[in-house]
Amino acid sequence: MNLFAKAESGAPKTQAELLFAAQQRKERHFRANVALTWGILLFLLVLLFSGPINIDTTFIKNNMLFIAGGVGETIRISILSIILATILALLAALGRLSTFPPIYALSTFYVSLIRGTPLYLQIMFFFLALPQLDIRMPGLWAGVLALGLNYGAYMSEIFRAGLASVGKGQREAATALGMTPGQTMKRVILPQAMRFAIPPTGNEFIAMTKDSALVSATGFVHELTWRAVKVGRAQFHNLEALIMAAIFYWTMTIILSYIQGVIESRLAKGDR
Amino acid sequence: MTSSIVKISKLDKYFGRLHVLKNISLEVPERQVVCLIGRSGSGKSTLLRCINFLEEPSHGSIEVDGVRVEGGEKGSHHRQLVHDVRLKTGMVFQEFNLFPHMSVLENVIEAPIIVKGMDRKKAIELGEQNLDSVGMLFKRDEYPMRLSGGQKQRIAIARALTMEPRVMLFDEPTSALDPELIGEVLNVMKKLAKDGMTMLVVTHEMGFARDVADRVLVMAEGELIEDSKPEDLFKDPKDPRTKALIDRYRSGEN
Ligand SMILES: Nc1ncnc2c1ncn2[C@@H]1O[C@H](COP(=O)(O)OP(=O)(O)OP(=O)(O)O)[C@@H](O)[C@H]1O
Ligand SMILES: [Mg+2]
Repeated sequence: MNLFAKAESGAPKTQAELLFAAQQRKERHFRANVALTWGILLFLLVLLFSGPINIDTTFIKNNMLFIAGGVGETIRISILSIILATILALLAALGRLSTFPPIYALSTFYVSLIRGTPLYLQIMFFFLALPQLDIRMPGLWAGVLALGLNYGAYMSEIFRAGLASVGKGQREAATALGMTPGQTMKRVILPQAMRFAIPPTGNEFIAMTKDSALVSATGFVHELTWRAVKVGRAQFHNLEALIMAAIFYWTMTIILSYIQGVIESRLAKGDR
Repeated sequence: MTSSIVKISKLDKYFGRLHVLKNISLEVPERQVVCLIGRSGSGKSTLLRCINFLEEPSHGSIEVDGVRVEGGEKGSHHRQLVHDVRLKTGMVFQEFNLFPHMSVLENVIEAPIIVKGMDRKKAIELGEQNLDSVGMLFKRDEYPMRLSGGQKQRIAIARALTMEPRVMLFDEPTSALDPELIGEVLNVMKKLAKDGMTMLVVTHEMGFARDVADRVLVMAEGELIEDSKPEDLFKDPKDPRTKALIDRYRSGEN
């Protein structure tokens, strides 16, 4: 940044400064054009939906608060589910390392079963099938269980890769220092594996905020999609309602992606 | 008879069907510096790693400072003995293996605190003392990523020393270093030898073997084929394989 300022201030410019300035200009040019195109695309999208069909703005105004109220529920279910998923994923990944057959089997069985069936079916299972066995729980918990179990199975691969990313030299050094396998895992392997796993876990969380919409199909969790569908159907304004929900989801993921980027770059810096 | 601090008796090690160590017996008296040389694949690392049970010996026994462990056994008593032996030995690896998520000081004090239950203040005091003696105290709050190989290896030595081991094991401690960084690590090892530490060193550094070692062992195909004072070894090697090895070092390849 400093270098650039100096180059513009009329002081004699070195070859390197000129090249650097040119590159900076090129980068800014590119970013500006991308932003412009985004704006145009957005404008076209708005035009497409507001031109031939008339959007009912009073509907939007009247139902804004109701639909926005689903954001909190969506975030709540996503956070609870990602916590459960992280714990399950970690256990499943550790289970995969076990030399004790039942533990290894439990881990692979869980991952195989969950990955072999649709998420939608799993969610329905918790809401519709379990009550038949007289297992009933609040809608939110059933949703969190279904999402957490599902994401846990997929995320176990992330943690497996994280654990595998720690070289065997680390384990040997810890062992040679007298650490037990448990201490080695807790103090040496896991902290490094976790750092590796944080960025992809962030991605999963962002995906989860959107997949949580599937829970709306049960009718028991009043999150974003459920609310949009409810008022949209009741007042024959599905277009407006769904567009509003889409904007909320999109805004959420943009914010989350931004936070994710900040965390990622902070992790990369100084490797700490 | 002077008491030996390390006693290896009739040690065998198999990797699957591969017979890597063949009936090795060896005693190392306290304060002795032993260099272990031999061609690649002769079993040097495996022998060293059997001493602290990073590799479990198939047969035979290891005794370090009075703790005797039979190879190939199982159970909690065996595990306890292995743990005791590990507390008496420090190991330095070719690849340093510092913990990248910990600062230099944390690397050094972690094990004394969680393994030996050392008081944190005492661990810091001892750790700083050892970092100072390897010339790395000025980097105490740095992270390993930002250090040179030679600096990392000196910290790895300080880390092992802070566990207060009776014997130090070095597996090619300078082989991963740029040539200009080898000297600083060898100097630390020389100082350690002078301070009376018992050391077993796998190395290709013939200069170090000649100047610092009290004794040089030569391994070939899982056996100790030579056990002599460095001056004798270089003057008249007994085994033709030793002669070939030394000629290879002399001609600069290794
Ligand atoms: N974990 C293992 N599993 C199977 N075979 C192994 C293992 N570790 C070592 N070996 C084999 O045992 C033999 C001795 O290996 P070792 O590493 O002890 O040799 P070395 O003398 O240290 O060689 P280098 O100078 O290359 O380090 C080699 O044939 C090697 O391939
Ligand atoms: Mg080796």
